[in-house]
Amino acid sequence: MTPVAGGRSPRERAAPTATLLTVEAESRLFLRLRTTVAWHTLRGMLAGARLRLGLVAVLSAMFWVSLYGLFGEAFVFLESLHAEVVPLLFNTFFSSLMVMLVFSAGILVYSGLFCSPESRLLLTLPARAEAVFAHKFQEALWFSCWGFVLLGSPMLVAYGAIRDAGWLYFVLVVPFMVSFAVIPATIGAICCLALVAWMPRLRIHAFSAAVAAVCLGGLWLGWSFVGRSPADPLSPAWFERTFARLAITEQKLLPSWWLSSGLIEAALAGGEGDESGTAIAEAIRFLALLLANAMFLQLLAGWLARRAYRRGYSELCAEVPARRRRRMARFDRALAGTGPGLGRPLRLLLAKDLQIFRRDASQWSQFVIFFGLLGFYFLNLRSFHYNAAYASMIGFLNVAVVGLILSTFTTRFVYPMISLEGRRFWILGLLPVHRDQIVWSKFVFAFVSGLVPCTILVALSDSMLGLRWPLVIQHEICCVVLCAGLAGIAVGLGARMPDLREPSPAKISSGFGGTLCLVISSLFIMVVVLVAAVPTHLGLLARAIGQGGDPARRLLAWTAGPQGTAASVALVIAAGLVATFLPLRLGLLAFRRLEP
Amino acid sequence: MIEFAHVTRTYGPKVAVSDLTLAIPRGELFALLGPNGAGKTTTIRMLVGLLQPSRGTIRVCDNDVVRDPRAAHLHVGYVPDEPCLYDKLTGREFLWFIADMFGMPRRLAGSRIDREIEHFELADFADDLCESCSLGMRQRLVFAASLLHDPDVLVLDEPMVGLDPRSVKIVKDLLTERTREGMTVFMSTHTLAMAEELADRVGIMVRGQLRFLGTVPELREQMSLEATSLEQLYLELTSPRRRASGDAP
Repeated sequence: MTPVAGGRSPRERAAPTATLLTVEAESRLFLRLRTTVAWHTLRGMLAGARLRLGLVAVLSAMFWVSLYGLFGEAFVFLESLHAEVVPLLFNTFFSSLMVMLVFSAGILVYSGLFCSPESRLLLTLPARAEAVFAHKFQEALWFSCWGFVLLGSPMLVAYGAIRDAGWLYFVLVVPFMVSFAVIPATIGAICCLALVAWMPRLRIHAFSAAVAAVCLGGLWLGWSFVGRSPADPLSPAWFERTFARLAITEQKLLPSWWLSSGLIEAALAGGEGDESGTAIAEAIRFLALLLANAMFLQLLAGWLARRAYRRGYSELCAEVPARRRRRMARFDRALAGTGPGLGRPLRLLLAKDLQIFRRDASQWSQFVIFFGLLGFYFLNLRSFHYNAAYASMIGFLNVAVVGLILSTFTTRFVYPMISLEGRRFWILGLLPVHRDQIVWSKFVFAFVSGLVPCTILVALSDSMLGLRWPLVIQHEICCVVLCAGLAGIAVGLGARMPDLREPSPAKISSGFGGTLCLVISSLFIMVVVLVAAVPTHLGLLARAIGQGGDPARRLLAWTAGPQGTAASVALVIAAGLVATFLPLRLGLLAFRRLEP
Repeated sequence: MIEFAHVTRTYGPKVAVSDLTLAIPRGELFALLGPNGAGKTTTIRMLVGLLQPSRGTIRVCDNDVVRDPRAAHLHVGYVPDEPCLYDKLTGREFLWFIADMFGMPRRLAGSRIDREIEHFELADFADDLCESCSLGMRQRLVFAASLLHDPDVLVLDEPMVGLDPRSVKIVKDLLTERTREGMTVFMSTHTLAMAEELADRVGIMVRGQLRFLGTVPELREQMSLEATSLEQLYLELTSPRRRASGDAP
């Protein structure tokens, strides 16, 4: 403890009021801070967002149980046929997670340490740089690892249950997962600290290069499995080649190998005798290895934070923002200027939203990543040589997947758009623009920006599956209906339940309205895809059971015929009209009456 | 108490603060004035340790802000232009967090928290979550937090933004009282009337350079403009004509 007071003035002669905290006291203080914040957050959610909390809990539990069942079945199958494959699968799974954790923790540490108002406050207080780092790192670790826990825990519990592992296995799963997760997260944090402190101007280039390298590696690996394999997919030869390629993940220097080996040994420890004792010792040895490396990396990160955090923060503060080049200005001008004068305000609003969208990398980058991955998957569909029935089913499932991904975007980015106008409402309010035009401009923006990639993706999927033209047209109609309906739901609910005080789109979309938007969107997608898929699959059923004169078979034949298809398309369009115009109507009425 | 020695800070090719040398003794209220982009916020960020100078040193109570930031921060209270609070803490919990961060003994911290809550009239919402506070309330809370440990140096960046007239009066009285007791205040402001009323000395910064340092009467004398307000002197000194020619007063 270092007293502040010296001995020169009456102020300084007084008893010291401020002293430097010890490392332990700082850690306790940050722990207390996090606990208090978590408690207030939970209490707030219990008081005001029970639906969201309940939905999250129920859906997470359902997800966990489904994964547990799925992994259980998979392990039973593997145990009976290819038990030797389990370590390879563990290694592949954990090494992939390791790479993802490096990046996600690096990004979260970056935003927590260098972009948050909290870090600006903490850096003006007498806190150690390494203590602030540890505080923000723990936050980043939690946010980046919940997915790992949700995915990894059912798999590991299922593995233990199938292998009849002893209690020790289930006890060790938690420390194994935590000590493993700390390693890639700390590596990500170290890279982030070093990049910002010593290469502040090149940090985005370096990060992009690393992401591109990982993506290219992943694409090459994926392509080598399904794209240029001479063997038929899912044949024994194909499996052999695939496993041979995946052996790259079994490097003994990788923490993922230590984790999977440790867990496999721990699962062997249920029995009796020398073998079990050896397995326990091996498991604990691997756990010690993980813990020792995690702690070493934490020490290294702490040392680096002490040296580099304040410097890095200062370098970022001193960064001069790059000037925007007006490459798209001509397009924006053309968009605003083309067409009749009556629609000009709407087009101007559209051009403004487009400019914001282009400049917000968090929006379009997620768009590109998710739709890009989906496109990559669709491009490889031909390699699986599905038969007609499967191809038709998968075609509809792909439409549903495209819709589900679009619904996450409409909920996350479109739903908050009206709310985000709240702080700028005085600008729009003073312009000669009818409020309806603001809502319609959001709808047109959401509809068109969803329509283009979604219709292309559905066409790609159907083309790779080799579907017939009538089915392709039906899928495209579904896709258009989905785009319109999802845009209508997001914009309508966004206008009906705006949160004009909240500046964060993430918080707006995770509130009650956002959750409701996601749930309604999911239900809408299910209705559209199920209604559209019925005639096709009844047709397959009718073909399987043959022609007949009884009323049930006649109904089946009618439903599967052109009349049934037309009826289902009509129903889909009707559902789309309701989903588009009902929420929009409610939103328009509410938005006209809105008093910001 | 505060010493800037040949401090320069660059943003790429742009020099935000150029060779600033300035010493502010104990018990002085110093107001840093200047047009937007003059380098005031950069100077304050360097003083509170958010930015490191490209050249030169800054010392607070004989502690180098870059080499020993923690020791320097123990002596500093900081009120930023945008108040930063934990939305999910109550006002009282936030004050406790700050008091604990300064290692204050529990009993002393408790009494100081009560004192500042009373002083800034925070009692009605001290137990509400910060997320429900208005800008003015948040600003008062930040003021209270910055004074808990009785800092030797109080750094204020546009302190009156968001405050109602009553709160402005409280802050003005407080600054006068605390500087009389020996606290040094370093304030950046655009409110020239307040600077004229409270400041012992003013510094006028233009394009990263300290164009004037002294009292308001000294500024009048140097510019040969009798019986004019600080506002007129300031406008004259920072006029585009003078800025372009780089004239000294």
